[in-house]
Amino acid sequence: MTQIAAERYTGASVKRSEDPRILAGAGRYIDDVKLPGMLHAAFVRSPLAHGRVLAVDASAARSLPGVVAVLTGTDLDAITVRGPDPLLAMMGAGASAPDYSLLATDAVRLVGDPVAVVVAESRYLAEDGCELVEVDYEDLPPVTSAVAALDPGSHPVFASLGSNVIGPRKRDEFGDVAGTFAAADRIAEFHIDVHRHQNVPMEGRGCVASYDPGSGVLTVHAATQSVHVTRMGIATCLGMEPGQVRVLAGDIGGSFGLKIGASREELAVAAASRALGRPVKWIEDRSENLTVSGQAREESFDVRAAVSDDGDLLGLDVSMVIDTGAYPVMGGMVPMIIEMMLPGPYKMAALGFESTAVTTNKASYIAYRGPWASETFVRERVLDLLARDLGLDPLEIRLRNVAPRTSPPAMMITGRPLTGVTTRESLERVAQIVDLPAFRRRQAQERARGRYLGIGLATFIEAAPGPRAPQGGGGLMGLESMRLRLSEDGILTLFTGQMPHGQSHQTTLAQIAADEFGVPFEQVRVVVGDSDVVPFGLTGGSRSATMTGGVTLHGARQLKAKVLDVAALLIEASARDLEITDGQVIVRGDPDSAIPVAEVARQAASGQLGVDPGLEVEASFDGGEGGWSGGSHCAIVEVDVETGIVTIERYVAAEDCGALINPAIVEGQIRGGIAQGIGAVLLERSAYDQDGNYQSATFMDYLLPTACEIPRIEIEHLETVPLDADVNFRGVGEGGMIVAPPTLVNAIEDALAPFGVRIYEQHLPPARILELIAKHAEGEGPAS
Amino acid sequence: MTDITVRVNGAARTASAEARKTLADFLRDDLDLTGTHVGCEHGVCGACTVIVDGRPVRSCLMLAVQAAGHEVTTIEGLAPDGGLGPLQEAMRDSHSFQCGFCTPGFVMQATAFLSAHPDAGEREIREALSGNICRCTGYQSIIDGVLLAAQRAKAGPGGDQ
Repeated sequence: MTQIAAERYTGASVKRSEDPRILAGAGRYIDDVKLPGMLHAAFVRSPLAHGRVLAVDASAARSLPGVVAVLTGTDLDAITVRGPDPLLAMMGAGASAPDYSLLATDAVRLVGDPVAVVVAESRYLAEDGCELVEVDYEDLPPVTSAVAALDPGSHPVFASLGSNVIGPRKRDEFGDVAGTFAAADRIAEFHIDVHRHQNVPMEGRGCVASYDPGSGVLTVHAATQSVHVTRMGIATCLGMEPGQVRVLAGDIGGSFGLKIGASREELAVAAASRALGRPVKWIEDRSENLTVSGQAREESFDVRAAVSDDGDLLGLDVSMVIDTGAYPVMGGMVPMIIEMMLPGPYKMAALGFESTAVTTNKASYIAYRGPWASETFVRERVLDLLARDLGLDPLEIRLRNVAPRTSPPAMMITGRPLTGVTTRESLERVAQIVDLPAFRRRQAQERARGRYLGIGLATFIEAAPGPRAPQGGGGLMGLESMRLRLSEDGILTLFTGQMPHGQSHQTTLAQIAADEFGVPFEQVRVVVGDSDVVPFGLTGGSRSATMTGGVTLHGARQLKAKVLDVAALLIEASARDLEITDGQVIVRGDPDSAIPVAEVARQAASGQLGVDPGLEVEASFDGGEGGWSGGSHCAIVEVDVETGIVTIERYVAAEDCGALINPAIVEGQIRGGIAQGIGAVLLERSAYDQDGNYQSATFMDYLLPTACEIPRIEIEHLETVPLDADVNFRGVGEGGMIVAPPTLVNAIEDALAPFGVRIYEQHLPPARILELIAKHAEGEGPAS
Repeated sequence: MTDITVRVNGAARTASAEARKTLADFLRDDLDLTGTHVGCEHGVCGACTVIVDGRPVRSCLMLAVQAAGHEVTTIEGLAPDGGLGPLQEAMRDSHSFQCGFCTPGFVMQATAFLSAHPDAGEREIREALSGNICRCTGYQSIIDGVLLAAQRAKAGPGGDQ
């Protein structure tokens, strides 16, 4: 075990290093980048969901004063490399890769599809130029739903594929599915829909690309979750060596999965800069962000559940359809993870699963916080539906089905060990906090007075990073790398490939490094956002707590050993007798022996000691023993059955994300995720009409939760089961968004139980609540 | 183009602006005050909020020429030494923000609100900030920051230490 100093930064709500600049308005976001001679780009976009491009006439735009260039799809096709989207190659998991040009040349495939880019002296002039570009289209029949896309007669969105079914309709079986269903007391069937909604970071996408004709280096200032993945995308598309592309990033105004890699617009801007030899900036406006940046979650599930009369969930058989939109990037990955995670922390013995991915004339399906979240929604919804049919309480049916924590660990039927899972504890804890029996009494009293309260429970586990497989092998998240350096001013610098966009890595990683290395927090600097300087990495998938926290800890330990070896020569003591405390190397028990770490670095650099002059190490970490993140949430709501308005009276979360690095930051992640889940259920929907026109292109149409809709959220951290000797921090970025939707929907259904309402969907704005009540009431008053 | 003079953060600034240029773009592009962020350009998200003549204003919905002769305060003007004012300190202590993009708008909106309503409680603060959107935090930490600032202001200098 690590030697633990009495006073530790790790585990304390240390104030954020990011805040002095952010609160002073001195953050540096993508739109704050200004380069000499910089031009501005705006895109000409399709008004049609599906059409053939017959002609593009940019002559009027090109002659507008202030317009420097107009590059059409055809112009860009000549100077870029066509090929499958690099992200699809990474995340497509076997889905067909359509062939398409960077900007539209032959066809437009969604409203907002970029057709040309206008580059001008200002953004105002670039938009003026866009209005002068004449595009002739021929309408093609739009494919605007998964049902339409599954029809073999639907017009192909990509001619090269010939079909709108792009992902395998492949069936997997775990356990004895047929036998389990044959032996079950009952089989229940449900069709469950999850609606399309989207990330909506407060800062949209954007980039500033600057090509230097002299050196041949293209520098791109990006808003990204990974400078290296963005660099890979740009180099591939522009046919450049990766070493000729440098990607820089500053502060990022949120992302939630949106800003991975390089988007088509960003690639077009990079190509334009190279063609023009001048810096070009593009900043996505909100309408573009809502219409074309990407959307998520549109999935439907046909579910069969094998159940015993006592409430044992014996098996599930699920068929899933995912609408990946136009220009697919996540084709097969999401169904793959959903399949793996569907059993959750429960002991079900059989799972059948098949999935079909389709392409449609809507925005691309992209990663959004907990991309596989529908597995939790489906499972936790099904449990409540079954409980209601069987007359069981939602807590009871869950406790009955949770796999016990045994040694060796119980296995998910899909193959992962449920090592250290604390689902039972978190369920019992939230029920205790809200006093479930007392709530049921109050609920009955209020119902008698015509007030409809409901309670909802849901639980999740997340492989963040997931436990190491018992048969050995590497961790599930691969390796995380870091370079650490002690410089002559005594500053410990961490170079990480993480690209924080709200996660506060400049604080949390410094906390861990300061503790492990033995310097004050203020003496640690965290460098991010330069592909020439930082190792490969990506912020996403809730990986940074374990993976980057772990590599920080082990790297700091490695560097400390190196520093102590040098200090041993200076102090003439054995390195084993030395320690670093508060930035000083001392002989243990002899404070008078202290020499500052800066002095050790200076001596090493002097070359006089005959040691490696650079006090630097490269470290990597595979996740160690890993472990599950997870937790249970509970919401108490009131539904106004006259207006359909849902008010959240109370929201409680019992979470286990392992050892906390910074509790305030962890709680911020949990609350933020829950707020997005509440938004998804009560407000947010990316809506299209039947012709594929986008209906949610402003914040008056795409409603986000405000301070008036999100309640105080009570969070309790459970004592975790440590699995690793050193690194038990686990990811917490996605759980809130994964489990809040079923928690809230379960509560709403509970409130509406007197009306006989059953809910098979996730989006429940007031109008839909009233429809559900009306549909089930059949002209009668509520049963008491 | 029109030459306009605006008092920004206590100093008179003269520049020429096209009639169609928004105050937000004028502050950011012409005066290099990039602390004011543009989040939606249609007045809903509040990220671009600045204070004009003591009142919070969406600088994406106001033209630069309309600000001529008026007094504008931006996030950069709250603590002229580059440090943090009392509200900003309270927000830091409350871990109010994450990505920071909405932050200047919240800080300006809350500054204007607290100066007019120093005794406001949580309900009023939530309503006053309900025109500002944050996608990261779920708002609780922001509300807590404003409440802490109000409480400290009442306690006086060093009052809560």
